[in-house]
Amino acid sequence: MVRFVNVTKIYPGQTKPSLHGINLEIDRGEFVFIVGPSGAGKSTLTRLIYREELPTSGQVWVGGINVAKLKRSQVPYFRRTLGVVFQDFKLLPDRTVFENVAFALEVTDASRREILRRVPAALELVGMREKANQRAVELSGGEQQRVAVARAIVRNPALLIADEPTGNLDPENAWQIMRILLNINQMGTTVIVATHAREMVDALRKRVVALENGTIVRDEERGVYGYA
Amino acid sequence: MLRSWARALRQAVQSITRSGLMSLASLATVSVSLLVLAVVACLAVNLNLMAQELESQLEIRAFLRDGVDPAAQQALIEQVQALEGVRSVTFISKEEGLEIMRERLGEQRWILEGLEENPLPDSLQIELADPHQVVAVAEKVAAFPQVEKVRYGQGIAERLLAVTRAIRIAGLGMVLLLMVATVFTLANTIRLAVEARRREIAIMKLVGATDWFIRRPFVMAGILLGTMGAAVAAGLVYMGYRYLVRFLVTNLPFVPVASPAELMQPLGSGLLALGALLGMIGSWISLRRYLQV
Repeated sequence: MVRFVNVTKIYPGQTKPSLHGINLEIDRGEFVFIVGPSGAGKSTLTRLIYREELPTSGQVWVGGINVAKLKRSQVPYFRRTLGVVFQDFKLLPDRTVFENVAFALEVTDASRREILRRVPAALELVGMREKANQRAVELSGGEQQRVAVARAIVRNPALLIADEPTGNLDPENAWQIMRILLNINQMGTTVIVATHAREMVDALRKRVVALENGTIVRDEERGVYGYA
Repeated sequence: MLRSWARALRQAVQSITRSGLMSLASLATVSVSLLVLAVVACLAVNLNLMAQELESQLEIRAFLRDGVDPAAQQALIEQVQALEGVRSVTFISKEEGLEIMRERLGEQRWILEGLEENPLPDSLQIELADPHQVVAVAEKVAAFPQVEKVRYGQGIAERLLAVTRAIRIAGLGMVLLLMVATVFTLANTIRLAVEARRREIAIMKLVGATDWFIRRPFVMAGILLGTMGAAVAAGLVYMGYRYLVRFLVTNLPFVPVASPAELMQPLGSGLLALGALLGMIGSWISLRRYLQV
């Protein structure tokens, strides 16, 4: 599903690579935690997957596509095959819950009928269906993140990427989000979560890829967070 | 496709009405710049008309040698007629020439009564299809052996043509300049709208919106603002021009003016199309930077 081949990423104006010599393979249907201290390169790794960034050298393959080879005009169509969840939710505050989720379908020129069919289903999955008509700005952080997850999955992506999805949430809401992500994974979606939520990583015993200073220092099935 | 444009239109109307005062301000600015543009265009059209009027008065007189036989005269007329840039050739015999002179002199025609014989030569009056070729045609005509002398207002004709050319270039230059100014006014207004929705644009890109999807509502808003501004400008200029023409026709009847109806139909539709086009270009420019994500 996702394959990094000798990937190095150096941001413009910097000398030290944010990622260096990354080789990584994630199969269809996996659930993977990317862990590591701040600045280890977790976010950069996720950004390379959804082509917010391009590798300085090496190749990033997603679903059989070499993302560096995508033309600018193809990027939107590529992104539609993914779902992405961010630490800061990235919702449109003055729109309703329903509109925020429908947004992801609208950009694909989906019909009104399809929107009316898929949005409630996605909201149901994250338990936000009753609040469909509230504006995003009126929601708690946990609720906002659930809406963001609904938006990420409303198109049934084969791959879901979450960059610190629980970073702004209290433990209870964090667990709720994590359960939703696990649930989505169980339905067949590949899920990649960059996080430093140690307790959850340790409790769930999923595959853990640990980054330090831009390189992979550990990659274990049923791993733990492993940092003090 | 139709659905997405309909959605873009809805969003454009929304964004224009939502920022009501701002939209009103930009509408006013667009109207004013298009109004100035239209005024300059009216001026340019009329100056051009005047220039044409002046140019159309340019003609060539070719005086023939004495004793050219009728066959050679006829041949000459045909040859001149065939020259490039010539509209018509009229033969004026010496008798006709004298008659014309007599008429022109009017009361003073007694001057001619002392003449024992007609001193005037036969001549050709050559009207031009293209006034700019006056010198070239005159030179060619002068080269015919039957022709003694050519007159076309040497010196004056060249100066006149230089002036009319300057008038046209100046008019065109001002119109272009104002068009650019209008584009930037619109671009600025729309940039503010884009600025306000930067976050939304970034999110759109992340969820896989194409550039066109993001651009459409703004382009639509630009077109709407441009067209509305143009409509206001066209209305004002029509009223103003009608008033001015009425004034000119009664007070300066010898000045050629384009009639309001004749001028306003192309100018009005031209302004509307131009407003729409400039609005489109303006929003395009203001968005370019934000789409580079």
